[in-house]
Amino acid sequence: MAKLRANPAESDAPDRWEAQMRKGALEMAALASLWKKSLYGLEIIRFLESHSGLALAEGTIYPILNRLKAENLLTSEWVEAEAGHPRKYYALTDAGRQRLRQMAGAWLSFSDGLGRLLQPVFEQQEEPK
Amino acid sequence: MTAELEIDNYLTALRLHLGPLTIAEREEIVREIGAHIRDSAEEPGASIASVIALLSPPQVLAAQYRDGLLITRASRSFSPFVLLRATLRLATKGLFGIFVSVCAIFGYSFGAGFVVVALAKTIVPSHAGAWVQDGQLVAAGAFVYGVPPKAHEVLGMGIIPLGLVLGSLTLLLTTWAIRTSLRVSQRWQAKL
Repeated sequence: MAKLRANPAESDAPDRWEAQMRKGALEMAALASLWKKSLYGLEIIRFLESHSGLALAEGTIYPILNRLKAENLLTSEWVEAEAGHPRKYYALTDAGRQRLRQMAGAWLSFSDGLGRLLQPVFEQQEEPK
Repeated sequence: MTAELEIDNYLTALRLHLGPLTIAEREEIVREIGAHIRDSAEEPGASIASVIALLSPPQVLAAQYRDGLLITRASRSFSPFVLLRATLRLATKGLFGIFVSVCAIFGYSFGAGFVVVALAKTIVPSHAGAWVQDGQLVAAGAFVYGVPPKAHEVLGMGIIPLGLVLGSLTLLLTTWAIRTSLRVSQRWQAKL
């Protein structure tokens, strides 16, 4: 702690900021994972890890899926599986697809704008010393 | 402890902490988490014990479900009691929630105050209104014990429509602000 106080630049603020940013995108990521086909909870977790590097604490996705379902953005269905127990598959509703399109548009617009804003930062990093 | 007993213990505790939800909601959640534990345990290198250790404690996971549903329902509600309850729950999670709760309490108090003054004016006109003395506003509202003797009333009965309009607008604006804040807050609740 003393080290953090002595040098604020070494604090965990960037990590917290990144975590907040990821949390903000989690709802969109969960919806996006279901764009092509319906998946069950563990498949969604693994899909997000492999396709976006978004590693979730185990169990975190389920309350989010539950809430998205309560908002009528998702529908769910229990399907008997070879594993010996049924799995709860989630799929996007029409409202969910519509919401995801809006989110994706807003995300692209936002990231394009920030990309332009940050361009000088990247250019400065690339300059030889 | 056998694997099945470990799962049962976790799910029993989860069910217990999901108390405020309906039986159907509880059983659906418990069934899904049970399926998650069994599926995860089948992955290479995993076991029931390791999967349960990676899950949040049952009380924490249950709180995420309860809060999510409470806030989702509140964000669609127009009931001040439901909205205030959700903001107070949100206040336990950080500064943003505290800020929203304080704004909600002030907003509803002011809105209700305007309406009460308008209604009081129709019932006890001499005890409700706005009074000035020497060009300064000295009292405004509804009073049990009357107003300063040298002050004179302004607005008169005009305070009734004014109070109703301002009160309604304040209550509507507060409701809209709370619902919007609750929806925004939901996106920041996840644990990474």
